[in-house]
Amino acid sequence: MTARIEDAIATYDISVRRFKIIRVFSGGLLIVALLLAPAFGPVGAQTSSELRQPKLPTTLDAAGETVPDISGMWMLLFDGANIPRAQLSPSVTPNDVITHARMDAYAMRWCNYVGTPFLMQSRFPLDIQQGRTETIIVAAEVSTARHIYTDGRGHVDPAQFEPTTNGDSIGQWEGDTFIVDTVGFSPNRGLTSIPGGGFKTATSHLVERYRLTENGSKLAVTFTWSDPNVFLTPHTYAFLYDRAPRPTWARKVACNPFDDVRTQFLSGAPK
Amino acid sequence: MDPTGSGSFKALDDNLPKPELARPPLTPPVAPPSKPHGPLDPYIVTNGECDTTGAQGLLMMDHPAALDIVQTKNEVVISSEVSNVRFLYLDGRALPASGSYDYSTVGYSVGRWDGDVLDVETVGFPASAKDQGPAVTDAHLFERYSLSDGGKRLAVTFTWVDPKLFLKPWTYTYTYEKLPANSYAFEEWCDSGDPLQTQSIVPPKQN
Repeated sequence: MTARIEDAIATYDISVRRFKIIRVFSGGLLIVALLLAPAFGPVGAQTSSELRQPKLPTTLDAAGETVPDISGMWMLLFDGANIPRAQLSPSVTPNDVITHARMDAYAMRWCNYVGTPFLMQSRFPLDIQQGRTETIIVAAEVSTARHIYTDGRGHVDPAQFEPTTNGDSIGQWEGDTFIVDTVGFSPNRGLTSIPGGGFKTATSHLVERYRLTENGSKLAVTFTWSDPNVFLTPHTYAFLYDRAPRPTWARKVACNPFDDVRTQFLSGAPK
Repeated sequence: MDPTGSGSFKALDDNLPKPELARPPLTPPVAPPSKPHGPLDPYIVTNGECDTTGAQGLLMMDHPAALDIVQTKNEVVISSEVSNVRFLYLDGRALPASGSYDYSTVGYSVGRWDGDVLDVETVGFPASAKDQGPAVTDAHLFERYSLSDGGKRLAVTFTWVDPKLFLKPWTYTYTYEKLPANSYAFEEWCDSGDPLQTQSIVPPKQN
């Protein structure tokens, strides 16, 4: 007896989230298959695997290929950080740590650009806009924008590049992950401290990996710092950003270094 | 606009028409120096202030440094070599209602495409560059962005409408030239705590 599969009938039971497929075979055989699956969305022609596929926002890269789109306003909530303690090189002395803490206090007091990595911990939503040849990241705090070039270029010749608080960043997509490589940090401008311990130097190398998760509602970013002058082993920590509600307006926060009240607050012991 | 979604543009034109003002200028003209500058007279090279309050505002569009423009589906970001950044929202949102927002030196901008031209409307400017309060002016800025010469040039027409300041809308145009594809954004470093930065009068070297 030859089985002939006729039309499949699928029903979706919302209350128990089960997908029932009833297949009717010619010749009198009746088979009922009960699939347990976390199915979502409309029923009918879609299979359960298609229904499970997250519909991430996409855009085109410089080569015209479709890639995930991380554009949007992203917030780092109170529970969005996983920061292990860094393993510092034996060459880092307590005096080095104190020196960099003082440099950071100076930068904060005089409204210097906060730079990377500090701006990635912004207390305001980050504005990330992913163009085809450049992704720009803007924080509200006093800082220049981060420019991540995605047009296939390499890093600027170090002999030509003047180090900045954000460094020289290039990026590329590998599957669903945006990988950013940054060098060229200024060792003595802006805030130099790194979450978990350590500080930026002229030889610091940062690799970031950005990936959308939870149907594009979250942005997972890992930061890996390598610097033989600071870290015993590469230091990695992670942030998980939430997408800000719409409409959220990006903003730049003013910082007045000549505000006496502000200066007294930052400089003296808390009162 | 730019099919590649971003670019660095540098202003070409600075020959601006003069606006017709509804009332006398807000500040009196600067008095000319009482005597010509002599060979050993000091120059004032800076007022010592870094722009950390965003006071530069829309003057960033007139700055000699290049602008970096990144264009996406829902937003255009225009950044300068300092902390100033403009956000032009293309996601269909309306301008914020009057009185519902604090001032911003670059205002709040929304835009939409009209064929090949990007129309942008901006409100929410402060009453003065140093105004630290929530007061905003009634000024509206209308801009039109259009590419020409195969995308090598960007023309931006600015039209200011403010009945309290101008007798009639004041319009001027800047033309920007696109920099080579491998250009990268600089960072204009400024440290208000640096004594050399804040020194307002630099005496010339004595031979």
